[in-house]
Amino acid sequence: MVTQKIILDPVTRIEGHLRIDTRVDNGQVIEAWSKGEMFRGFEALLKGRDPLDAPVITQRICGVCPVSHAIASCKAIEAANDLRVPANGRLLRTLVLSANYLQSHILHFYHLSALDFVQVEALLDYSGRDPVLLDLRHWARGELNSNRVLPVAPFLPKLPGDYPGNPEWNLGALGHYVEALDIRQEAHRMAALLGGKIPHTATLVPGGLTLLPEAAVLEDFRTRLRRVKRFIENCYIPDLLRVARLFPAYAETGRGVERYLSYGAFDEADAVWMPAGVVKQDGYAPLDLSLIREETHASFYRGNSQEPPQGAAAPVPQPDKPGAYSWLKAPRYDGLSYEVGPLARLKVAAAAGHRPIAQALAAFLREAGLAEHQLPSTLGRHAARALEAQLIAERMEHWLDQVDPAAPAIAPHQNRMTGTGVGLVEAPRGALGHWITLAAGRIGSYQCVVPSTWNFSPRGQGQDPGPVEAALLGTPINPDFKGLEVARVVRSFDPCIACAVH
Amino acid sequence: MKLTRRTFLKDAGLLLASLGLEPSLLPRMADALEDMAGGRAPILWLQGLSCSGCSVSLLNSESPGPADLITRYLSLYFHQTLSAATGAAAKDAVETAIAKGGYILVVEGAVPLGIKEACKFADENFSEQLLRAARAAQAVVCTGTCAAFGGVPAAPPNLTGAAGVGAALKQAGLARPLINLPGCPTHPAWLVGTLMQVLKSGLPDLDDQQRPTRFYGHLLHEQCPLFAQYQKKHFAQALGEEGCLFKMGCQGVVTQADCSLRGWNGGVNWCVRGRSICIGCARPEFALDPQFAFFRLNENDLY
Repeated sequence: MVTQKIILDPVTRIEGHLRIDTRVDNGQVIEAWSKGEMFRGFEALLKGRDPLDAPVITQRICGVCPVSHAIASCKAIEAANDLRVPANGRLLRTLVLSANYLQSHILHFYHLSALDFVQVEALLDYSGRDPVLLDLRHWARGELNSNRVLPVAPFLPKLPGDYPGNPEWNLGALGHYVEALDIRQEAHRMAALLGGKIPHTATLVPGGLTLLPEAAVLEDFRTRLRRVKRFIENCYIPDLLRVARLFPAYAETGRGVERYLSYGAFDEADAVWMPAGVVKQDGYAPLDLSLIREETHASFYRGNSQEPPQGAAAPVPQPDKPGAYSWLKAPRYDGLSYEVGPLARLKVAAAAGHRPIAQALAAFLREAGLAEHQLPSTLGRHAARALEAQLIAERMEHWLDQVDPAAPAIAPHQNRMTGTGVGLVEAPRGALGHWITLAAGRIGSYQCVVPSTWNFSPRGQGQDPGPVEAALLGTPINPDFKGLEVARVVRSFDPCIACAVH
Repeated sequence: MKLTRRTFLKDAGLLLASLGLEPSLLPRMADALEDMAGGRAPILWLQGLSCSGCSVSLLNSESPGPADLITRYLSLYFHQTLSAATGAAAKDAVETAIAKGGYILVVEGAVPLGIKEACKFADENFSEQLLRAARAAQAVVCTGTCAAFGGVPAAPPNLTGAAGVGAALKQAGLARPLINLPGCPTHPAWLVGTLMQVLKSGLPDLDDQQRPTRFYGHLLHEQCPLFAQYQKKHFAQALGEEGCLFKMGCQGVVTQADCSLRGWNGGVNWCVRGRSICIGCARPEFALDPQFAFFRLNENDLY
């Protein structure tokens, strides 16, 4: 069989501008390239600004996970200024972060990914009594009977594929697609209750949060949380289990590099809930930040550098650089690419000896009919994300209980003329780090190493593929589907390209 | 369930209330909604140098809510974050829409006029795709400060030569009816309300920056609940303190937007109610001057 090229350009239903090129031989992917197609230059524009501008500006890297950038930035500045955030500030930040996790995970499963697994046309034959589905059916039929171009957009057209004929699944998932729109919005109201507004919060500043956590606001938050939590338990988790039953082959695709990195996340009053570390074939190891380098050999930036993030100069764009094919840099840990995200967080937590998470993961895998060795897979990533949403929603009540409505959430600001700091957090998509250097009280240098930069990284110095490029290898391809299988593997990583390039 | 006049009247009532418009507009607004539901208001949504924050904000629309918006009112020919179409199907959807024309083009994100390869879609530079799409549009709506005025991507040193859509069209000598809806992100009510008005009565009243006066006609400060504190000179002296935030750097005094009346995320909160400052995210100058810090806390260290 002749080698064939499958190109997905653009990959939609993700954040940002991504193109995936593959070479297919003998019915499977034998080579893949992940190409970030958008660059803005955040690191260059931060230089010379007031340090307190950084949390405001870096949130604008991403409209899906601005909270994570705000927290990473605040922490970097706090480290550089030796500021300690009071317990209330840590807890409230964690609540804003986790509220946005819930909206992000729900958005990802239902609105970005589910359409890859659902036969939308099943709607046209719906004969039940659910008012939401009847409404949708009426709309879809009306669209198809009109002479409009692109009827039933944005749900159609879509790639041809092996969508299941199971009407219960198709209609249930479409109904939950609609309900999930309201639920993710509710999660955003929760984030705004404590964050001021969202996307792009207002109250998260170095030292803590500007607002006073009034008891009535906390109770409002709790009521909304229970609604979101019910949806996760009654819809998200069961739907994930249905996907696992309907698409068992996807437990065998998208394996990846099987190296996982997590910075640890969810600060509690005096501890961190999810532990940090790295996991590879020989087991768990604590995190060593000095092993991180960003490589630019295949990236559209001048020079082939291999720099640690601390103090690195902003990259200089060179779109015509020979051999380069992406605006993403290639982060490496001890010279190797690592996967980040919910799967990595749970793997690291379990390997680090976090027993409740390890037990929940084992139980969930049993329920989904997945063996542990199938966790690194397209399906495994979706499962890890759903389980994480459930675990976080449960933990949030505990964090809420610990907030003291009478105590301040912020430490007084102080500004040093020089210093360095790193702020680490986990975004919904994985490990996020901001590195700052202060010079004469201003930002001397700023570097962001972002989750999708790790996952969607192009080849590095040694021409080694990035995690998604590696995960695509071996994916079975039906040429009639025009790349649907590739899209499914790619989306399981929850790409955020505005983040990845910034 | 069939859509009835009653449904449109109900949604129109909610919309008018959230927009702060007069109840006498109810029948016209219901007409507009019905037109949209009939698929006569196709939207082509393109993303340039963006963070997708305005797309996420659209999904936070309260009345109509996101499900009704997507299925009943907005005919989203193409939206990069929501469309099922991917790869070649996505490119085809955009091309089909452009060939048909007559849509409202919503643009999110700035346009890289310097390094044109800094934003691509289906192997075409976004700056060129934008011109093709704008030529066939009945109107261009720039959602967010990036699309309107450049925003954060255009802050110095502006490596990509990022500019707002208006500037990009002007450079290409292309005149289209254009509306700017700055905000980082745009408030969903500003966007949805504007789309309804464009549909029903053409362009809304715009100021000299092409912003609808309905939403951007007043300084945020004039309607701020802390205005009385400002007059009494009761100022917060540190972050987290009570009082007017003017001395912390609040830009409500120079920002034209109605956040202080409208609130955000269903009105549950907004920046100043959270005791933070207005960072002026809806200002044309937002983020463009590196010497103009958002917070004033470090001024004494510098001068």
